[in-house]
Amino acid sequence: MRTPRALAAALAVMVEFSLLGGVVSAHHSRAGYDTDDKITTVKGIVTEFQWRNPHVYIIWSVKDDKGNVAPWTGEFSSPSTMLSEGLSKSTFKVGDEIAITFIPARAGTPQGLVIKIVRPDGRVVIDLSQRRGLRNP
Amino acid sequence: MRNRIIVSIMAFAGVVCFSSAALAQAQGQEPVRPNQFGGDSDHTGPIPSVPPPAGWKACPRCQNEKDRTDANIKYKVEGHKFNPRDLSGVWGFQGVGATFRNPPPLTPWGKQQHEATIGEKNAAGESLHTKDTSGEGSGSQINCDPKGWPRLHTYNYGFEFVMLPDRVVQFFELTHTWRTIWTDGRKLPDSPTEPHWMGWTVGHWEGNTFIAESNGYEDRSWLSDTQPDGGWTHSDEMRVVERWRRLNYGTLEAQLTVIDPKTYTQPWVTPAVTIALVPGAELWENFCAPSDYNTFNNEVFLPTAGEVKK
Repeated sequence: MRTPRALAAALAVMVEFSLLGGVVSAHHSRAGYDTDDKITTVKGIVTEFQWRNPHVYIIWSVKDDKGNVAPWTGEFSSPSTMLSEGLSKSTFKVGDEIAITFIPARAGTPQGLVIKIVRPDGRVVIDLSQRRGLRNP
Repeated sequence: MRNRIIVSIMAFAGVVCFSSAALAQAQGQEPVRPNQFGGDSDHTGPIPSVPPPAGWKACPRCQNEKDRTDANIKYKVEGHKFNPRDLSGVWGFQGVGATFRNPPPLTPWGKQQHEATIGEKNAAGESLHTKDTSGEGSGSQINCDPKGWPRLHTYNYGFEFVMLPDRVVQFFELTHTWRTIWTDGRKLPDSPTEPHWMGWTVGHWEGNTFIAESNGYEDRSWLSDTQPDGGWTHSDEMRVVERWRRLNYGTLEAQLTVIDPKTYTQPWVTPAVTIALVPGAELWENFCAPSDYNTFNNEVFLPTAGEVKK
């Protein structure tokens, strides 16, 4: 049965949707991102990590069970804000394996506002899930 | 076909977890302490911040709450002697993001100007203020136009006052800019030679209150882009009156009034806000570098908005 395996693979990629409604209140618009009940987790390999204004962002590749690779982009906040959260320009290297939790783009594009990143050994690199003003720049 | 199934599953399926604890915690978080470290942008995560190089201080926004608490103890902020006529120091988060809420009624001209700032709306019906060319993460591409004063007052990146014999200089980390408040007795020009994004500004003391007055503004800047009711504009006739008081060593109070009869039918008297000293911080640079912003627009902003890269 191939379809159930595909289904299992898809579910493995998408770890959880959780409803946290109201955690953040928009100050500046992150209007391109969906509501917090669409929070998703996707595993992949880091291909690019840009430490720059206005917002730090990461690109990671996600492989399906056929070997097709698709790039995803995750947006953080400003470099200074990310330093306060324990992230630095050397936190991620190309080739790092990560599980990244994010609020997806409304447009359905492979983009997300990053909430949490975990290494394969379970180490939490960053966790903004309780951070007020997550959508602020 | 199988990929399509996977995509469909990813799009529509999932395990929905309603976390009552998380929700309660979220509800319990409101309101944030607007008078201390600011607005809705508190940095309270359990992971330690990245320390600055040895012998250097962090930038205001590079600190988390624990860093600021530790610095307040280290620098003995509480009960520290102070001169109420000395505003010098690094201040912020400002906590003044909500300064420009609840405007007075607009004039017909002002209404027209404000409507022009609204731009498109997203699926949730929120105004994207897509006409904004200087927005930090507002619903528009960023072209690095200056934010100007008093819009810079509404961002939580920290600023520094430096007191000189003939002027007070206010440096801002965000966009790495400054403004000069002249205290040498000069008067505001009746007819400023050219419009300034930061205005033409003079200051004087009334008791222990520092009054700054300004005019001659470039009318392309906005007062605020705050969602959902921002995009407030002003005209080139705007005057701003600021009242600054150092309440104690660690606390500054600021109150702004915008007088712009061309845009608003009454003066916009904004609420006084307090701003915390950040003694463990120093200003770093936060430029709006057009090449960085172009990359960001193309790689992140436009795709997220569902638009094609340009």
